[in-house]
Amino acid sequence: MSQPTRSAATPGMLSSAMRIFDLSLGQMLWSRRSVFLGVLLGGPVAIAIVLRVFDTLHAAGFKVNGAVVGGSSIFGMMIWLLFIRFIVPVLGVFYGTSLIADEVDDKTITYLFTRPIPRSAVLVGKYLAYLACTVLLVLPSVMLMFFLVAPTGGGSIGAAFPSLLADLGMLAVGLAAYGAVFALVGTRLKRPLVVGLVFAFGWEPAVLLFPGYLRRLTIAYYMQALVTHEMPQDSAVSMLLQIFHEVPSLWTSLLCLAGIIAVSLWLAGRAVEQREYVLEQ
Amino acid sequence: MTNKTRYFVIISLLVLGVGLGTGLVAYYVGFPAGAQGRRGGQADLAFVPRDATVIAFANVQEIMSSELRQKMRRALPMPENGQKELENLTGINIETDIDSVVACMHPEAKSTSIPGAGMVLARGRFAEVKIEALMREHGAHVEDYSGKRLIVVDTKDFAAGDIDVHPTTNKNTTFALSFIEPGLVAIGSTTLLKSAIDLHKAGNNPQAGLESVTGNDELMNLVRSLDNANAWAVGRFDALSPQAHLPDNVLSQIPAIAWFAISGHVNGGIRGTLRAEARDEASANNLRDVVRGFLALAKLGAGAKPELQAMMQSLELGGAGKTVSLSFAVPAEVFDVIGAVAGKNKPGSP
Repeated sequence: MSQPTRSAATPGMLSSAMRIFDLSLGQMLWSRRSVFLGVLLGGPVAIAIVLRVFDTLHAAGFKVNGAVVGGSSIFGMMIWLLFIRFIVPVLGVFYGTSLIADEVDDKTITYLFTRPIPRSAVLVGKYLAYLACTVLLVLPSVMLMFFLVAPTGGGSIGAAFPSLLADLGMLAVGLAAYGAVFALVGTRLKRPLVVGLVFAFGWEPAVLLFPGYLRRLTIAYYMQALVTHEMPQDSAVSMLLQIFHEVPSLWTSLLCLAGIIAVSLWLAGRAVEQREYVLEQ
Repeated sequence: MTNKTRYFVIISLLVLGVGLGTGLVAYYVGFPAGAQGRRGGQADLAFVPRDATVIAFANVQEIMSSELRQKMRRALPMPENGQKELENLTGINIETDIDSVVACMHPEAKSTSIPGAGMVLARGRFAEVKIEALMREHGAHVEDYSGKRLIVVDTKDFAAGDIDVHPTTNKNTTFALSFIEPGLVAIGSTTLLKSAIDLHKAGNNPQAGLESVTGNDELMNLVRSLDNANAWAVGRFDALSPQAHLPDNVLSQIPAIAWFAISGHVNGGIRGTLRAEARDEASANNLRDVVRGFLALAKLGAGAKPELQAMMQSLELGGAGKTVSLSFAVPAEVFDVIGAVAGKNKPGSP
């Protein structure tokens, strides 16, 4: 009787990652963190419902500073202020940094690492589960928001539909990029959440305010090129952002974001393969 | 994957699928219908030749009965000589007889005026016999074309008479009027009217060289993109720029624009959008930069005038790719200010 070879016994990278994905998706969806995610994504839908009710009750339409604003403009403003500047980075930070850190904190990482699968497959599977979980929650939320808000103020669903498609694509790419970067932070650093929050809400907004090359070290810089809506001028900071608004071309942005995702995941995978995780007793 | 997770994924994908499907239907079919669909504008576009350079539509009834129009009449009581004169000449009362108007401009080889010949299709209630009699009194003659009566006027006869003719108008061209169908009158260049009658009779027939503007996808895509507007105009920018009489140095600074669209909704105030399709993305980015600069200047200038601030706040630059759009809203308060200023400047006012 011949001995089974190691390659036959050990599942490949992809099938291992898919097993971890299958296991992790349910864990992520029904975790306590999902309550936070639900509140985060229910907020924009609730705002959209209020706007819709207001528009139905007041024939004069929704006004900002005395001027009637169309539904597509309000939708664009919500995409900028709620999703691009807040929800997408927050989801990236909270979910991305916890992909491996949660298993370490719960002292369950040993169970995964003792399986006959590549260690990096654990990270890739969990990253795919994060992406599926967030995309399946964020995109329907945006879709509901669009159908509630776009027809208000005399707007047209058909006319605004191409921008919705661009928004859905942009949000998926943004979630993938932020998730990959914060997955790397989670595997490399000790306090990933703090570092992630500082990066998303300190470094990125600050650097975008100034002209120069530093803004290229942010994800928001490349995401801006994928946004079809004009940046809202809601504050002095936004005015400054408008003044120094320099956007790379669409293809440059897509290539850079793909590069960021690939490099971050590769580095995170290497870190998981090489790092010795010491579980505190 | 547990059943709970599986159901969640299915529901989520269903929401996305239904949303995308509905959006696609709305995009292609026009649900909710755009400006042209709701107001009968599109039906009359079927009589406009395909190579029209500019097309425009106005829902006259809505505009005439709008709060803004009533407010303007109260604030700035204007003499109604023009309207009365038209009523005496043709029996047409603009306020009550015309429902909607579709207009087009067309490059015509014979015409020296830029951008060529024009035609107006007005829908409403018309006293056909009275109009024909009045026009014949002014030297018009009646021709028959494809079973329709064309009331033709030689421009030179008008120029010699008591009716003003624009100095750029070719004196050898003719213009005509015809009732294409009950409640639809076409007025304009005889050539264009003949095309409209052909289109009315035979419909679109590209093989025979007869096609309406509804077959011009480039132009119609812009028309479809117009939001809830009761007045709009769409056209080639090169047809418009010579009419603007802009200095050469200003024209050379305007990035290459292929198409323009202006749409507005008149009710309490005016809400509208200016849209330009640049020839390429680089030109569109240049145009955005130019407009952004002007907006910043305008907002700075309006800082000291609170009555203009609402209007300035409503200016929003948008668009993606080759499209640049600027939406605006002129609130009713601005017209109150205009009315007050006009009242002060009236002779005899304190």
